[in-house]
Amino acid sequence: MKKKFVSYQPLKKLDIWQKPNKKRTLFYFDLEITSRCNLNCRHCYINSAADDQAALRSELSVQEISAIADEAVSLGALWCLLSGGEPLLRKDFFDIYLALKKKGLLVSVFTNATLITPKHIDFFKKYPPREIEITVYGTSRETYEQISRIPGSYNAFQRGLKLLSAAGIPFELKAMAMRSNLHEMQDIIRFCAENNRDSFRFDPFLHLRYDRNPQRNREIIAERLSPEQIVELERAYPPRFHALQKNVKKLTCSKPADCDSQRLFLCGIGEGSFSLSHDGVMRLCHSLWHPDCVADLRKDTLTHAWDNLYAKVKRMESSRKEFTENCSICSLKNLCMWCPAYTYLETGRLDSWVEGFCRIAHAREESLKINS
Amino acid sequence: MIRKAALDSVYIPSEDVVAREIEDAIIIVPIVSGITDVEDELLTLNDTGKAIWQKLDGRATLRGVIEALTTEFSAPAATIKEDVLGLVSELLRRRMVVEVSAE
Repeated sequence: MKKKFVSYQPLKKLDIWQKPNKKRTLFYFDLEITSRCNLNCRHCYINSAADDQAALRSELSVQEISAIADEAVSLGALWCLLSGGEPLLRKDFFDIYLALKKKGLLVSVFTNATLITPKHIDFFKKYPPREIEITVYGTSRETYEQISRIPGSYNAFQRGLKLLSAAGIPFELKAMAMRSNLHEMQDIIRFCAENNRDSFRFDPFLHLRYDRNPQRNREIIAERLSPEQIVELERAYPPRFHALQKNVKKLTCSKPADCDSQRLFLCGIGEGSFSLSHDGVMRLCHSLWHPDCVADLRKDTLTHAWDNLYAKVKRMESSRKEFTENCSICSLKNLCMWCPAYTYLETGRLDSWVEGFCRIAHAREESLKINS
Repeated sequence: MIRKAALDSVYIPSEDVVAREIEDAIIIVPIVSGITDVEDELLTLNDTGKAIWQKLDGRATLRGVIEALTTEFSAPAATIKEDVLGLVSELLRRRMVVEVSAE
């Protein structure tokens, strides 16, 4: 017998994920257990009001979530993210969380931290999450609440962080960069870096609403940074910029022949994960809401949808010139926000050119050339 | 106080962990805190550890587990005994298994 029977491995380095040519296996899924949120952030792509009764009624029950999670576990899932909306708004949050843990899932939670109470602290101390991620909208009350649009939310956010810190419950901070907090981004970056164990990340790309609500989309567009502001911000944060510089050759195709000109999805979509909305809509990527690319798990099984959707999506092509002669063969496609999912949210089509994305890609290219 | 594993005792996986078999590996996922020494690390069992774990069924004593393993593996019985006691002691220390009354 071999002497060493046990080993401890970080989740990301488990041997099971390193096996070459392993078959497609579900590893991770995210559950938006509610679309409701107690905040009303200007840039949010999903939220409905905390007291939205229709949204509340449409939420998957604990039993429905549990049944789907059973299927996910049987397909191999090891890790699950609870997000929203604000997941802590659900009165049965503890039941959902524990049901998932007891299936042998590692559970992460994305929260705005404003609803964290001592009861949550006791619970998380007893049943630790894999991670808690919290978005920082601002480091001042004025900026935070300019974005959240809820008076008192900044104090609630700070109180939540203090409760977690005092209890020694680890959390990771992240940020969205937008017009309302751009002036404070350096403070936000510093604040996050001081509080994080690992490197901090921020996202300057605001994508549009899943429900395609025109009024809310206008609010998101109004918050978007210009391409010049995005590259300036990237350059002002060395870890991100150096990573971009280091990988620029990998991120750009050397010549158009490297690219498949008609296939829509060249990413790793559906290789190991899926997303599920509060009302049971499954997607292979959280932003992919095209009706041909989703399944209703109140009517279909996960096991069937997991195979069926993947086969369908991977086969999808476009022969429109707008696609085949532009984005499909563009050498900058990986520096771009362009992907069929985001493009659908922007234009209602999976294969359209999006001017704003294109401008960002070219600005990033220019920025990387200047500094390389 | 946590005792060392004993040959005439019977053990079973704790309700505080879930053993997941993924891609032929056994991964022990803790439900409660204090099971692993480091956050975000999971205990995995190799083939030998897996063979031992799967025999901790709440019925067989460790002596019985060792006898069964001796027929499956070509290693000397003394080595198997040492390995089983070593692993189960570690699992006990980590609260991943608990002792139950023999039937």
